[in-house]
Amino acid sequence: MFTKVLIANRGEIALRVIRACRELGVRTVAVYSDVDATAPHVRAADEAVAIGGPRATESYLRGDALIAAARRTGAEAIHPGYGFLSERAPFARAVRDAGLVWIGPPAEAIEALGSKTAARTLAGGAGVPIVPGTTEPLRDAEEAGRIAAGFGYPVLLKAAAGGGGKGMRVVRSRAELAGALDAARREALGAFGDDAVYVEKFIEGPRHVEIQVLGDTHGTMLSLGERECSVQRRHQKIIEEAPSVAVSPERRRAMGETAVRAARAAGYVNAGTCEFLLDRDGRFYFLEMNTRIQVEHPVTELVTGIDLVAWQLRIAAGERLPFRQEEIAPRGWALECRITSEDPANGFLPSTGRIAFLRAPSGAGVRWDGGIEPGSEVGLYYDPLLAKLIVWAPTRGEAVARMRRALGELVIDGVTTSRELLLQILADEEFRSGSIDIHWLERRLASLVERPPSPEALRAAAVAAALLTRADTPSPRGAPGGGPPGAGDGHRPGGTGAAGVGPGSGASANGDRIDGPSRWTSVARREAVRE
Amino acid sequence: MTGPAAAGTVYLVEIEGRPTTVTVTADGVSIDGQLIPATIDTVSDSPIRLLRLGDAVFELVPRRGERKGSYTIVLPAAGARVGVEALDERSRAVRTLRAATALATGPEPVRAPMPGLVTRVLVSVGDAVRPGDGLIVMEAMKMENELRAKSAGRVRSLPVAPGTAVEKGALLVELASD
Repeated sequence: MFTKVLIANRGEIALRVIRACRELGVRTVAVYSDVDATAPHVRAADEAVAIGGPRATESYLRGDALIAAARRTGAEAIHPGYGFLSERAPFARAVRDAGLVWIGPPAEAIEALGSKTAARTLAGGAGVPIVPGTTEPLRDAEEAGRIAAGFGYPVLLKAAAGGGGKGMRVVRSRAELAGALDAARREALGAFGDDAVYVEKFIEGPRHVEIQVLGDTHGTMLSLGERECSVQRRHQKIIEEAPSVAVSPERRRAMGETAVRAARAAGYVNAGTCEFLLDRDGRFYFLEMNTRIQVEHPVTELVTGIDLVAWQLRIAAGERLPFRQEEIAPRGWALECRITSEDPANGFLPSTGRIAFLRAPSGAGVRWDGGIEPGSEVGLYYDPLLAKLIVWAPTRGEAVARMRRALGELVIDGVTTSRELLLQILADEEFRSGSIDIHWLERRLASLVERPPSPEALRAAAVAAALLTRADTPSPRGAPGGGPPGAGDGHRPGGTGAAGVGPGSGASANGDRIDGPSRWTSVARREAVRE
Repeated sequence: MTGPAAAGTVYLVEIEGRPTTVTVTADGVSIDGQLIPATIDTVSDSPIRLLRLGDAVFELVPRRGERKGSYTIVLPAAGARVGVEALDERSRAVRTLRAATALATGPEPVRAPMPGLVTRVLVSVGDAVRPGDGLIVMEAMKMENELRAKSAGRVRSLPVAPGTAVEKGALLVELASD
């Protein structure tokens, strides 16, 4: 095992990797941008190195600075986490060339799977089912029309270097094709500097089901089962679970064998994820392989009992996987909710501010993988993922009940979060019966967001507002409060008009956020480009 | 303990757009014709308030809104986040008077809902806009957000251009009544 590892990331995933290192007796080096100088991941590490300015391009995306930091501290290996440089083959190669160990797949495997076009070619060659479509970028609308006619409309145009939904267009007829192709190209060029677009058959109402694989350097490649990630909005996953209601043991075996075949074809080592679309008839199609640890890895950990991050480190250090494929079967049910700083009731407007207060859920079967603390600044430089809440229970129904209980305990004050939307989803009959697909949330979002709170909650809020207003109004005699005994007891919001969220001060923290939907023009969130 | 409403301060409470009346008396509150003992306590070093309504207890996290008496209240256990406004009769009279004045001054300007970068300006000075029309695209938190007109009007001034970095609350578009 290594004696010291550098973690080239921040937030919850940096903490996750540092925790795994601690448990393995490995010393840790954190890196940080100027705004992260005292961030939780910095304080959790043994050593920390400043790598530049607050923008990711000035710090977390600077490969040279990261390698220099590893050299300076004597770290033997670099764990990239997810996002940032985790899937950049040139960086993986530079790490290796610097005599350091890259905790992830070989640069060649990242390259072979890095572009969707390359991944499709590779999968096709390995007998892995793919959605019918081209593996070569389209030349023009003529060619696109000929190909689309071959497998019938609707078709999907996709950027070869895509991600986050940019450069994607569903086309329902030949007439729409030329315009959609131009638009997809323009978007792809703007987002990725590459206007290569391909066309494929559009699958109606599919689920997003992905298979976790884990392979060592001694020739073992295992499938650790599926995760269902169909609850998503604009290709951003919101709730993930393992296993999937749509996957029987037979289908799990078939999908697992397919994923292992794809991974082997790419010369894959370490943890990776094969993404599939699962259609209504149970057919599955390989989409792409994510060559890194994923945000939603904890649900697989909870149902398999295998610590994926610890095994990433152990595999990189040359250890052999001690499990056999037959021994791996999901036990119970795990759910993950992504807690993000955005306001679903207001077009998912990003919410920024200082975390004034945090009460993380706990109790039986609850895991909190968070990257925030009271005092943390939630800014605009990084991903809005504040934390992941993960639960385990024997059955899906019990896991949903447990997640609702845990989300009910969660209090984050200082920014608006996705908590209430998550609770609405978990209370929804369709979600609870498992009848979801990748378009389900977008279809249901408005009704979920607008669902009124219970009469009991409304009544409590109405009484609270009256009592708070009473406590906040100087009485005719000039004394504050002046209400009935107990009403507004000690509640005297610091009405000094100071701007900003007062750190840690309960009363004044109450005073000054301006984020009601009525305050702003309506906002439509556009293209997502995060991890 | 229920009974006829005792004398007290009457609050007109608008919750999620629906009006209701809460009378605060020395003994508690009167709501829906019921008099219920009610208190609200702070919790040390926490923004959480504890509401007792009869024997029922509710945790809640209130945030004051911009206007007096307006709050966003989160009820953690209920999974509710509600906008609520409570006004006594005097404040309501003042509010009505102000609203009449505001009507004469024209539509509200569009301000930046968060710090970020203006990436596109979709209108020009003099353009007539309708509610829902896109005005400005801002990039923040790695996402593009389109700010739309809330009311109809004519663009009077545009103090920003693509590339302008703006703070939260910065004036982006001034509208005049059409």
